[in-house]
Amino acid sequence: MQHIVSRIWHALGSINLTVGLCLLLTADLVWGYFCLERHTPLFTPLNDMGLIPWMQTYGSHNLPWTVWFFLLLALLALLAVNTFACTTNRVVHLLAAKSMVSKRRLALKLAPHIMHYGLIVILAGYLASYLCTQVLTGRTLVPGAYLSLPGTGGQVRMVAFEPDYYRGTRLGFWKDEVITARARLLLDDGTTQREAMLTCTHPVRFLGYSLHMHDFAPKSQGGMKMKTRIDLHVRKDPGVALYLAGIVLFTVGLALYLYEWIIDRETTTL
Amino acid sequence: MTIDTPSVFQLAGTMYWLAFLASLGKGTRKGVTVLLLTLAVLANLAVVFLRYHQAWPMLPMHLGAVALPLCLGLLTPFAGSGQTPQGQAVRRILLALIVLLVGAALCFPKDFYLPFLKSKTLLAHGFLWFGLAGKACFTVSAAWAISGLFLFRRTPERQGLTAAMHRCHRWAALGFTLWTLSMFAGELWSYLGWGTPVVWEDPALTLTMAAWFFYACLLHLHLTRAWTLRARTVYASLGGLLLLTLTCLPDFGPFRSPF
Repeated sequence: MQHIVSRIWHALGSINLTVGLCLLLTADLVWGYFCLERHTPLFTPLNDMGLIPWMQTYGSHNLPWTVWFFLLLALLALLAVNTFACTTNRVVHLLAAKSMVSKRRLALKLAPHIMHYGLIVILAGYLASYLCTQVLTGRTLVPGAYLSLPGTGGQVRMVAFEPDYYRGTRLGFWKDEVITARARLLLDDGTTQREAMLTCTHPVRFLGYSLHMHDFAPKSQGGMKMKTRIDLHVRKDPGVALYLAGIVLFTVGLALYLYEWIIDRETTTL
Repeated sequence: MTIDTPSVFQLAGTMYWLAFLASLGKGTRKGVTVLLLTLAVLANLAVVFLRYHQAWPMLPMHLGAVALPLCLGLLTPFAGSGQTPQGQAVRRILLALIVLLVGAALCFPKDFYLPFLKSKTLLAHGFLWFGLAGKACFTVSAAWAISGLFLFRRTPERQGLTAAMHRCHRWAALGFTLWTLSMFAGELWSYLGWGTPVVWEDPALTLTMAAWFFYACLLHLHLTRAWTLRARTVYASLGGLLLLTLTCLPDFGPFRSPF
């Protein structure tokens, strides 16, 4: 039994499997490009509705255009298992021989494995994000109005909309248009209050939720005056921390690897 | 006085074309090639600068079609020594690819999109430039593989092929690093702007991931020697060219006569 488990483990960690999977992933993603380009509206809901509901609706009812995505999920899952098995095998060997090398050398030797673990963490973060994210779309705030965050007792109030307008002459189309949409929010958790600034590229995090500005009005200074409002996407995404941690891990591994590649290897070959 | 960017880009294209023709000659034309390439890069830089200046602080849309030839033009002198036949071949291949890219960008322009507010972040610019630099490195890597494939067709010339593939892998590794940084910048931008790690409105993201897996595979093949040297050369050359074409597709629009 142990022999069979060991064989499966080694087969799963095979570098030939890695190569095969990378090739299949490349081909599948190229196929995906053409499906996504021709049928973008089928995939847009993935941003908000989560993976399982999407698979049960858009995904399963449009298989000719979405089957590449299902294949992508399967291939990525297999790649994560393959990467874990392959990397763990090598790390075990490295750590077993750690007494023979200096700590610095060991850290440099571990660099590619840190990248591989980083990739697994990123993929796990994506999965958590697409499986478990709660998204509240279509939440609109006007100055003075409150928004309650479900299950927290927290409230968000829009204090003011303080946009910057485009004053340049380079883009005629943008003249007097909002160039920075800035909303001042009051965040109240029931005991304390604090202010935060929300922009299109700077979400506000509060009580486990993140608030993203989806749209706003008015869009320009002159012309038809629209009532001031901001449209929010409120998200509770448990995967964010994980995939950000994965990015950091991968980057650390990459930096160590480059250091070894550029500096350490050069000096040892001199 | 307004400067017409398509005309300047046509000028850059002509200079690249002349630089390519000059590179086909021997010895005395080397200085001419360098001069023409410098002029072409300056004209191309002016186009990129004008497009950027117009859209700043937002991101100019589909800049890749005009900025990739610039990145390649800047890398060409460093891609390989012009003294060796291999280095010369690599330069010719790169110049030929630049001419093709400029021609495609002139005939299939996609310069009609306005910049959008969410691109007003450094992450968006990082995503673009790391990606372009990465793609340029991938192209140099493919050029080394193509030169190896055609210059060392016979088995006894294995040493030359090994040297070419060594360069090919170095450029691929550099490109992979830059491409990864571009993807991370894009991922962070996507989270800050839309709240999701991937924005599914943009089909180009799948090609970005495809290129990442393609080069991850190449680097694994190199490190493990899982395939023969010739098989890896074919993979890096033909696959690299195919991936270059595919990743450039989203930056090209419908046909429009440049004249």
